[in-house]
Amino acid sequence: MSDVEEAVDQEFAADRSKENVVLRVEDLQKTFGGLVATDHATFDVERGTITGLIGPNGAGKSTIFNLISGFYQPDGGRVEVNGVDVTGMEPYEVADHGLIRTFQTPRKLEGMTVREAMLVGPRNQPGESFVNLLTSPGSVGEAEKRNLADAQRILEEFEIDHLATQPATDISGGQMKLVELARAMLAEPEILLLDEPVAGVNPTLRNKLADQIQRLNDEGTTCLLIEHDMDFVMKLADPVVVLDQGSVLMEGPPQRVQTDSRVIEAYLGGDA
Amino acid sequence: MVLLDHIASGLIFSSIIILGSIGLSLVYSIADFANFAHGDTMTVGAYSSFVTFGAIGGLGGAVLGLPLGFFVALLAGIAVAALVAVITEKVVYEGMDLDSIGMLITSIGIAFIYRAVVQMWFGADAVRYDIQALRPIEWLLPYDVRVTEHDVAIVISAAVLVTGLHVLLQYSDLGRKMRAMADNPDLARVSGIRTDRIKLWTWVIGAGLAGSGGVFLGLFNLLRPRMGFDLLLLIFAAVILGGIGSVYGAMLGAFLIGMIHELTPLLSQLGAVLPYLPDTFGLPIGNQYGSAIAFVIMVIVLLFRPQGIAGEAV
Amino acid sequence: MSAVTRARAHWADLTRAERGVTWFVVGFAALLLFGLLSGALAPTYFLYLVGIAGMYALLSFGLNSQWGFTGLINFSVAAFFGVGAYGTALMTAEGSPLAGGFNPLIGLVVALVLAAVLALLIGIPTLRLRADYLAIASLGLAEVVRTIVKNEGQWTNGTAGIRGIPSFFEGWPVLATFPESMPGLEIVVSPGWRTTFTVPVVDVGLEFVIPSSTLLLGTSFWRALLNVALVLAFVGLSYALLRRVHRSPWGRVLRTIRSDEDLARALGKHTYSFKMQSFVLGSLLMALAGVFYAHLNLFVSPGDLDPITTFYVWVAVILGGSGSNRGALFGGVVIVSIREGTRFLNEFAWIPVDVAPLRFLMIGVLIVLLMRFRPQGVLPPQRELIWPTAVDKAPSRPDSGVRDVKAGGGDE
Repeated sequence: MSDVEEAVDQEFAADRSKENVVLRVEDLQKTFGGLVATDHATFDVERGTITGLIGPNGAGKSTIFNLISGFYQPDGGRVEVNGVDVTGMEPYEVADHGLIRTFQTPRKLEGMTVREAMLVGPRNQPGESFVNLLTSPGSVGEAEKRNLADAQRILEEFEIDHLATQPATDISGGQMKLVELARAMLAEPEILLLDEPVAGVNPTLRNKLADQIQRLNDEGTTCLLIEHDMDFVMKLADPVVVLDQGSVLMEGPPQRVQTDSRVIEAYLGGDA
Repeated sequence: MVLLDHIASGLIFSSIIILGSIGLSLVYSIADFANFAHGDTMTVGAYSSFVTFGAIGGLGGAVLGLPLGFFVALLAGIAVAALVAVITEKVVYEGMDLDSIGMLITSIGIAFIYRAVVQMWFGADAVRYDIQALRPIEWLLPYDVRVTEHDVAIVISAAVLVTGLHVLLQYSDLGRKMRAMADNPDLARVSGIRTDRIKLWTWVIGAGLAGSGGVFLGLFNLLRPRMGFDLLLLIFAAVILGGIGSVYGAMLGAFLIGMIHELTPLLSQLGAVLPYLPDTFGLPIGNQYGSAIAFVIMVIVLLFRPQGIAGEAV
Repeated sequence: MSAVTRARAHWADLTRAERGVTWFVVGFAALLLFGLLSGALAPTYFLYLVGIAGMYALLSFGLNSQWGFTGLINFSVAAFFGVGAYGTALMTAEGSPLAGGFNPLIGLVVALVLAAVLALLIGIPTLRLRADYLAIASLGLAEVVRTIVKNEGQWTNGTAGIRGIPSFFEGWPVLATFPESMPGLEIVVSPGWRTTFTVPVVDVGLEFVIPSSTLLLGTSFWRALLNVALVLAFVGLSYALLRRVHRSPWGRVLRTIRSDEDLARALGKHTYSFKMQSFVLGSLLMALAGVFYAHLNLFVSPGDLDPITTFYVWVAVILGGSGSNRGALFGGVVIVSIREGTRFLNEFAWIPVDVAPLRFLMIGVLIVLLMRFRPQGVLPPQRELIWPTAVDKAPSRPDSGVRDVKAGGGDE
């Protein structure tokens, strides 16, 4: 890296010295009708971490998620997944590069049982091609069988296998969050973006979700996590990236973030 | 010149479409669904004024060749259209727990019911107001413009109604709340606006304007049970062209669609209008394609600028 | 397990709605049978009705694979139906202003290709956008198609329509001459044939008397029979195809799009492509219905593209249960009963109103009532849809009705 670039890098609030970067967000910008939602945001996510993304209301966390996952087109800047530039790609293309996201309020899949809803997860199923259904039903059936077994196994790991044949519309919001997480795992993500995974979930299930995310991480899944529940973030995430007014305020381990005066000010000032 | 005549009739037709498109746009953004019964609301307005006019007669006096009784009938058409819309909202839409697509489908059912009732009452054949047809205004004839005083009355009345709406939207408390709700219904609700009341007023204003548009359409053409449904697509085209959710965009869109619709016959006589072309030159597109061309333009706009010409990119 | 106990177990497994529909179908069939035997319903006309019912079933299948599977609001059913009918008519009819005289199989292929092209033309600009844009654009483009068919007489004969369309089996070995080569049959239903039976519960004896009548089964009967065989083949094949794709991973992506398109995109599904596939598939089925109609009616005109057909089919699909293939089948049959039933009303002079608006009213009221009280339809899909060979023991039905929720696409 040249001296000039290094000098530029020092201006960034985020830690740019990571070795093994799965997700690189560089100078991302987005405005909505004159309203700046994302203001030159830059940060990296290192493989194997659970990186937290926090910030006061309106700091632009969800916008960044939508920009990264391809749901919004950025006005400027770059997004890289696994070293591949995915800026401006469609969500399905971004997903194909290994980035899977969840939603704050997932809609329930009408008319499906939980395990059917799970089966939407695996990517590139042979049975998703119309032609294959007619020409090679055998391979479709085999893949389906495999996926069903995988789904069952993951549901067991999440300890919700008793829900498998329940209608997806009948389970509680917290259970739905678990199912969403489980389904995302079926897509075998390199990096998982979790948008408020425990919002509106009762404390028992909240702990369970925390355990599951920790377990997935131990097994090698990298996570980027937005969450309002500070205890939850601080317990799970390291490092934590703090957003304020659309740009990165600072990044650091949870203890340092909690005591940082700029962060405290942003949170207090943001609501005032 | 033949061009002027087409522009004049474009202006008249645009006036009618503007009246229809405002209501559709308001309901689209405030009640949050594409109301397929909007065209038939125009039909309801037209036939209501037809009945009223038949009952009260001319009442003596005349403005622009239209007896005073016609203007009373116009008010009746507006009132009935608004009333029918409010009743429909109260009886049907309000109790429904459906998303915007479900509401859209329901509104198709409503459209059929309106049309069926009108057709049962008045038959499928066209009827007309019992008003003496006028000769074109004399002093415009040398310019090849064939416009009657009735046509002028349509344009002026539409201008008055649109100005009234503009004042209402910009300067009244109700208008401010309507705009706030169109922008962001959730925000409007949490900031203490009584959204159900605003919604009801939206129906009154939107359907009332549609009713007036229906009356003028009946005066411009004839009254037929299908008149509103046939116009509905042009009105949708206008609203999409202008950008869904923007009332002023809808007006602009309606103006353009009305013009395009009435200028279509020129395509077959381009040579007569444009210089440097042989007089007999023309595209083989007759005036029956007026609506078709408007739809195609709408689809092209959707393709390149889905937010409409006045809408903002998202 | 004997057949009886198996049937009983099957019956116990049905939902209330399914039982209701079964009773309705049985009753309706009995009524038709009675009509046939008593001579009130001519056999040839009966077969014509079956043909029309099959045609509506195909149209409903088509819409179901767009709206029911994926949540696409297509208001141009009539246009695709018309393109199918005109496509084959222009290729095969003697009176065709274009090609004419080709084998109906070629007509079939041309019609399907035309429909696919039209589907792409409508789909490309609209399928990326909000769901309601497709509704508006498709209704508009259907009118464009109708205007063209009506006005471009040099290609379509305009309002005069196209006459002299051959039957579908023209030029086929054996089948082409089948109706003529079959002997005319005369069936006399024996006079005074009567039957008595007692209704066990209420203990009332009923007596049916079927008056003497003679059924003449001539060439037209055999021709109608052949048409029914054709439509049953179309319907059967389409049903088998839809059943297979509906319970596949492909169908599952479509159902996900219907509930939550963003979720499908986030999971790496190319939703635009899936929507397009579903749209084209449905359009082809609608065109197939049009092809059958052209060779049944032997005459097509711009009136066949009237938008009312679109809304008939919508009612059929919503009534049957969006997303349910057998529901679409059921809805199609009910719609034909309404359409043909109201036709008889014309014969009663004492009914003061015209039938046309009465149909509008029925359609309108039916739509509103369904959306208000049973938006999921009469026969919503109930069973889990997983590729059949992948599950050893799928629960025949989930613990409670999966679809017993509101219909309609995803929330906006």
